[in-house]
Amino acid sequence: MNKKFVLGIYDDEDVLLTAIENIRAAGTKIYDVFSPYPVHGIDDVLGIKRSRLPIVAFFGGLFGMSFALWMQIWMLGFDWPMIIGGKPHIAIPSFIPVTFELTVLCSAFSMVITFFIVSRLKPSLKVNVFDKRSTDDKFVMAIEVKDGVTNMDALNDLLRSNGAIEVNEKEVVK
Amino acid sequence: MQHVSPIREPLVTGGKTYHDITEDVCRQVEAKPNARWAAALAVALVGLAIFIYSVYRTLWFGIGEWGLNKTVGWAWDITNFVWWVGIGHAGTLISAILLLFRQKWRTSINRAAEAMTIFAVICAAMFPVLHMGRPWLAYWVLPLPNTFGSLWVNFNSPLLWDVFAISTYFSVSLVFWYIGLVPDFATIRDRATGPIARRAYAVLSMGWTGSAKAWSRYETVSLILAGLATPLVLSVHTIVSMDFATSVIPGWHTTIFPPYFVAGAIFSGFAMVLTLMIITRKVFFLENYITLEHVESMNKVIILTGSIVGIAYTTEFFIAWYSGVEYEQYAFINRAFGPYWWAYWSMMTCNVITPQLFWIRKIRRSLTATFIISIFVNIGMWFERFVIIVTSLHRDYLPSSWAMFSPTIIDIGVYVGTIGLFFTLFLLFCKFFPVINMAEVKAILKSSSEVKHHGHAATMHATEKGLNTNRHHNE
Amino acid sequence: MTEERLIISRKTNNKFFLMIAVGVVLLIAGIIFMAAGGGAEHHAEGHGEAAAAGHEAASWTKRLFVNLWLNNVYFTGIALIGTFFVAVQYVAYAGWSALVKRIPEAMASYLPIGGIVMLLVFLFGGHDIFHWTHEYLYDVNDPRYDPIIAGKSGYLNTVFFLIRMVVYFGLWILFTKWLRNQSLSEDLNGGTSYYHKSIRISAMFLVVFGITSSTSAWDWVLSIDTHWFSTMFGWYVFASWWVSGLAAITLTVIILKQNGYLKMVNANHIHDLGKFVFAFSIFWTYIWFSQFLLYWYANIPEESIYFIDRLGGNEGHFAWIFFFNLVINFVFPFLVLMTRDAKRQMIMLKIVTIAILIGHWFDFYLMMMPGTLRTDAGIGFIEIGTTLVFLGVFLLTFTKGLAKASLVPVNHPFLEESVHHHV
Repeated sequence: MNKKFVLGIYDDEDVLLTAIENIRAAGTKIYDVFSPYPVHGIDDVLGIKRSRLPIVAFFGGLFGMSFALWMQIWMLGFDWPMIIGGKPHIAIPSFIPVTFELTVLCSAFSMVITFFIVSRLKPSLKVNVFDKRSTDDKFVMAIEVKDGVTNMDALNDLLRSNGAIEVNEKEVVK
Repeated sequence: MQHVSPIREPLVTGGKTYHDITEDVCRQVEAKPNARWAAALAVALVGLAIFIYSVYRTLWFGIGEWGLNKTVGWAWDITNFVWWVGIGHAGTLISAILLLFRQKWRTSINRAAEAMTIFAVICAAMFPVLHMGRPWLAYWVLPLPNTFGSLWVNFNSPLLWDVFAISTYFSVSLVFWYIGLVPDFATIRDRATGPIARRAYAVLSMGWTGSAKAWSRYETVSLILAGLATPLVLSVHTIVSMDFATSVIPGWHTTIFPPYFVAGAIFSGFAMVLTLMIITRKVFFLENYITLEHVESMNKVIILTGSIVGIAYTTEFFIAWYSGVEYEQYAFINRAFGPYWWAYWSMMTCNVITPQLFWIRKIRRSLTATFIISIFVNIGMWFERFVIIVTSLHRDYLPSSWAMFSPTIIDIGVYVGTIGLFFTLFLLFCKFFPVINMAEVKAILKSSSEVKHHGHAATMHATEKGLNTNRHHNE
Repeated sequence: MTEERLIISRKTNNKFFLMIAVGVVLLIAGIIFMAAGGGAEHHAEGHGEAAAAGHEAASWTKRLFVNLWLNNVYFTGIALIGTFFVAVQYVAYAGWSALVKRIPEAMASYLPIGGIVMLLVFLFGGHDIFHWTHEYLYDVNDPRYDPIIAGKSGYLNTVFFLIRMVVYFGLWILFTKWLRNQSLSEDLNGGTSYYHKSIRISAMFLVVFGITSSTSAWDWVLSIDTHWFSTMFGWYVFASWWVSGLAAITLTVIILKQNGYLKMVNANHIHDLGKFVFAFSIFWTYIWFSQFLLYWYANIPEESIYFIDRLGGNEGHFAWIFFFNLVINFVFPFLVLMTRDAKRQMIMLKIVTIAILIGHWFDFYLMMMPGTLRTDAGIGFIEIGTTLVFLGVFLLTFTKGLAKASLVPVNHPFLEESVHHHV
């Protein structure tokens, strides 16, 4: 199943943002926009919802904290209680540093791993770049073309009138 | 629409375009290794060889190869451990804390600084492992079920807290650094011509395409990681300081250690970043990205943290007197006038006096002065740890236990060796990885560069200008 | 960019006067109640053994003076943080805060009053607050001679103490006025020279602050528990002052906005202020924990006594405050302000900042009361009354300072950045 796209190439981030606004207002659905860096304000104009990764981080941290406390309390309080330095078996102030570290560790890793999974990032030789200049100095707006439905000329005009310096076609083999 | 006040100095000079940034940074990665780099690597490898030999001597013959004795049980080993960990903290601070404070000048130095962190922590970790005596049992520090009962680790010990702190710090820093590298690996991948390079950077870039949704998540992850890394970096050096502060030894047991050690770590870390960046920017022709503004900003951080360290010294000294505790009072008198007085005064000169020179604008903006001072700061911070550890141990409560310490050639060899290890890793990093975060610098280009870009004409004109001004930029 | 001027209505001013009046009434009622021997039997029993142990029951004058001292140290610190905040923003080349900078500038208006009150309370109540002011401690022939305290007399003596007090307030007020004058002149004359001068003044102030914030903490708080010492203490008091000052600034910005002022301040500025409050609540907790852990861990009696007095000691009188302190100043702000949204909502921040301001008052209470009033400390009419009086006076000077200049620093070089600030 091959997908066809029209790519509008832009070279200025502000022109790009205005273009996105206008093109979406005209009713055209934008498949994606590729840029060499995160463009400030692009989330709002593209209607990208806020990521829920912070929630993952929170629960990861909560797990880390609980695990760390449970581990220390069980090991030094129940399994083999020992008096060390005159401290009580369950010495909460002593247990705080390790608890803190495991909280941060679990929070960070749970979020990062989730990030890789939902963004489909993994070490792979396959490269799905639409236009190689999107990692260099151009902003690439991809609009999906539906055979027989999309008016190519109108689309071309729409892109160029909103500041695209180039309009190309691309076919992606799935 | 963001507004940038015209009174702010540009952070990218030379009229660079996005493409210029790609070219200028990728050039070093894509080009064949040059003679200067090879010569530097050769020197570093000599250092690495010294390291390997010294480690062999330590492991084969034991800790007796070092100058330690019953009274002074820690000396160069732990001094070096704290020194390296401290240096590592600047990377995280630049990446994480300066990100939270939205300091745009961090973008051209954060990658190299983070790399420095990773390598510094590797060097640091050598010491706790080597000083164990039986490093092949190092896994005993982990709370793993075992056949001794299970005999669990001592969660009451700061040395164990260190295990968790340093491991967490290393892995989170590595992850933070790596995530930042992914978009730049994609840039190199999309330019790569050789088959090995194309494959290698394709794998490293994890299929990154730069889609808006991916960037959105990426930014969220960066911010949260920064928010996690900030308390993490504070906690790591706090826990390191607790190796000393939880004891009852005069000169060690003092409540100010946690934040004072953190301030000292940032102080030495920034000095090391300056040392490295002043060389890197010259050798790789990156003066338009790591400008005098960047150097000056880092120098201001050095004044700030150096002054905090100075205030901490004064506070310790005053409270030692104020407390009326004779042992504490003696500890400080001994530091200044006892047999290690030369270490103490080196520390004071390097740490308290030299950074204050940065109050003078001309010195702050002089690359030569900055380079020299940055090295003195690191020398001073080495002496600070030495003074804290050795002078407090060699004469504590019981005069009959008083002893002297002198390093053996192996003590020195391990230390010099870790410097070799560090530079080997750093030079390899410079060759194969982009030393500047291209994506982040591109993100600030429009707001913070010299020439405002308005489409084609300016771009072409600016590119020409870019090629010329590279060589002219000499300060 | 047009200026905005705060108009304090007569009604608002009257509210502040009423606050002071209510405070005075409560204060007097509390004193009368205490002086008339309210709970006399309880006192007699409790102080039977205590008297034998050499501890006198606290008089109402002692309680009054300690409360005056507690509130003055608390409010002086918050006022000082106003100048500190402004200085930090200048030195960091911060643009986002230009729209809110007049609030911390005005907050420092209390400093002169703080200075006079500090001086008067020390002169009249010094003996009640500071154990070390008693001459007999330094007399070798007196049975109450204390060699440890005598050893500190080079620093802890009335003359040097007073000189330092005058120097602190002198320097703080000097720098506050200097920065304020630059700021006001900039409104009138424009240009960037005032801005650059302010950066230099701010840098100098930060050095002065770095030293005097610690030494004033040692003078005014640490010396109350005269035998005790802690190298962290200066920074601990600073952390408490800093987060309280940040909370005060944030609360004021919110209240002004809710009254129609600071029109250009939006959720982005509130967010940044919220981040400061969140982050430095955690910082304060970190400093608190470091100090506590190290003294708990080593368990050296002359160091741990401080915490014992505040936990199981003094008949457990202060234990609830010890834990309440952590809950209100750490747990509550940490959980409530964690999310991005919470830091952008004025209601959430209003609740948290008020909690933090109350919470850190308790923090200072816990610092000062166990060493002075011991088991006679309480939270009664005297405490509430004194606090209300100080709060009323602080608000009067604060609002007066706010009304004296435009709320918007019209010629600030970073004003445009601040207006367009987007997080």
